[in-house]
Amino acid sequence: MATQKSKFGSFLGSSTLQLLLILWAFMQIIPVLWQVISSFKTTREIIVDLFALPKSFYLGNYDFTYFSEIGIKIGVYFRNSMLITLFSLAILIIVSYLAAYAIAKIRFRGKNIVVFVLIALIGVPIHALVVPLYYLISDMGLINRYLGLILPYASFFFPFTTLLLQSFFREFPDELIEAAKIDGCNNFQAFSKIVLPISMGAISTVFIINFIQMWNEFLLAYVIMKSNDSRTLPVGIVQYQGNYITEWGPLYATLVIAIIPTILVYLIFHRNIIKGVTAGAIKG
Amino acid sequence: MRKRFRSNGNSENLVGWLMLAPGLILVTIFMIYPSFQSIALSFFKWNGFTAWRFNGVENYIEMFTRDRFFYQSFINTVIFQLGATFGTVFVGFVLAAIIDLKVKLWRSYRIIFFLPYVLAQFAVATLWGTIFSPTGLANEILARIGLESLQVAWFGIPWVAKVVMIFVAIWQYSSFPMIFFLAGMQNIDEEIYEAAEIDGATKLQRITRITIPLLKNVGSIIIILQLILSFKVFTYVFIMTEGKPANQTHVLGTLLFRYAFEFQQFGYSSVLSILMIIMALIFGYVYLKTSGYSEIIRKKKV
Repeated sequence: MATQKSKFGSFLGSSTLQLLLILWAFMQIIPVLWQVISSFKTTREIIVDLFALPKSFYLGNYDFTYFSEIGIKIGVYFRNSMLITLFSLAILIIVSYLAAYAIAKIRFRGKNIVVFVLIALIGVPIHALVVPLYYLISDMGLINRYLGLILPYASFFFPFTTLLLQSFFREFPDELIEAAKIDGCNNFQAFSKIVLPISMGAISTVFIINFIQMWNEFLLAYVIMKSNDSRTLPVGIVQYQGNYITEWGPLYATLVIAIIPTILVYLIFHRNIIKGVTAGAIKG
Repeated sequence: MRKRFRSNGNSENLVGWLMLAPGLILVTIFMIYPSFQSIALSFFKWNGFTAWRFNGVENYIEMFTRDRFFYQSFINTVIFQLGATFGTVFVGFVLAAIIDLKVKLWRSYRIIFFLPYVLAQFAVATLWGTIFSPTGLANEILARIGLESLQVAWFGIPWVAKVVMIFVAIWQYSSFPMIFFLAGMQNIDEEIYEAAEIDGATKLQRITRITIPLLKNVGSIIIILQLILSFKVFTYVFIMTEGKPANQTHVLGTLLFRYAFEFQQFGYSSVLSILMIIMALIFGYVYLKTSGYSEIIRKKKV
């Protein structure tokens, strides 16, 4: 590595290359940072000078009583988003775990078709089906209900999650399971004592990747969650922005609230995420 | 091959399908059934309240021969798709190539670069929407460095608005190809480079003759993945331009939303759904062929 670095480094000068990375890193961080800083300025301050640092550490933009007075229930939206995301994830992970295990480890007729259908479904966007979905969920009586988002979310993220998990199971050594059976475990014990503990890493990866996707999902939530009390955070915030577009201070505060959970999840689990995105996509 | 399956007995078949059943039931109800309903609906007129009225292929004829918004939005979708795909793949490759030299702090760069990927699209769209608003940060910066003449209403000019949205996609998603390329580069044997060195290859040839050819597989997979993902563009347009000005920045998704939920043309808008589903199937097929999944299916290795 050391030789590679010095040889290639001299080609452009490693400081030039380093500079490119630094520039891109600034590009990535500055807008987000600017938004966070602006959320601690009064709207007046923001209008007067977009660049200035906050004069005082102004917390008024995060005043939830201001929001609730105009009917924006940040706390309620947050709870809705959290519960919907967690329940969808629970269903999704159980269901795709089973399916992935079957695809990777069990011989059954028709597997080709299943895999092809799953791959085809990865490319179908939610908005392509939003009309029939809306009427389906409405016929089920699930408008404004958590289940009205939980079931579609678990479905739409099922194909990708299953393909990702099956690539993990494919590398899982059969010998371990065989050995456990020789030691007297039945199928269920082999599963709960051997397979499940080893797959916790893969499970946490799909948990995090899907957490981000579901937490951020906007369109279906926008269509299904019509009442103010059932809105998710993205829907509630977009609704606020539509009506108060010039209230820059609170607007930036709502954006900060919206991105903090996924940033936290990312910073804690970045290893799993970075590994996980590539795992399912290449060579099954 | 059939024989091998039969020899396994029916119990394996049963267990396999039982384990798949819950997930397949979910996608059947919430993805496959709605897809077929869209197909049916595309041959009808329906405003959401009255009974469906059969309309033959009139919706299709209207869409493909008379609807200039459709063509505009289709072209916009493809422009965004190509711009975002090749932009992110190019930037991602350059970043990966530099990080792969294990420059100082390379791990921190990787963590920073991936951060925008986890942000909600609607939040990213709103943030950049305010930055490129007429009184926003972008114009302010131009003013401060004495380039007032370059100030524009970024979202007021259709092609500028499209460039801005492609830029935002590159900003948010370049790290995705970067991760793939990094994974691929770590698999390249250092000895190949050393052998080329002995044969007198220049540093640039190193990249063009060795790195790029060896990453061809990874590269084509990531290009197809990015084409699939960027084809799904909706939120950026929905938040940043809402299709304005004069419906000239719509993409297929936002046009569908407008026809369906603003004009209550549920039958007509379904033609767009069908188009998107067909595109998804085509991309899915190409992905299947490229990614190595098809080999796994053929081998039936378990």
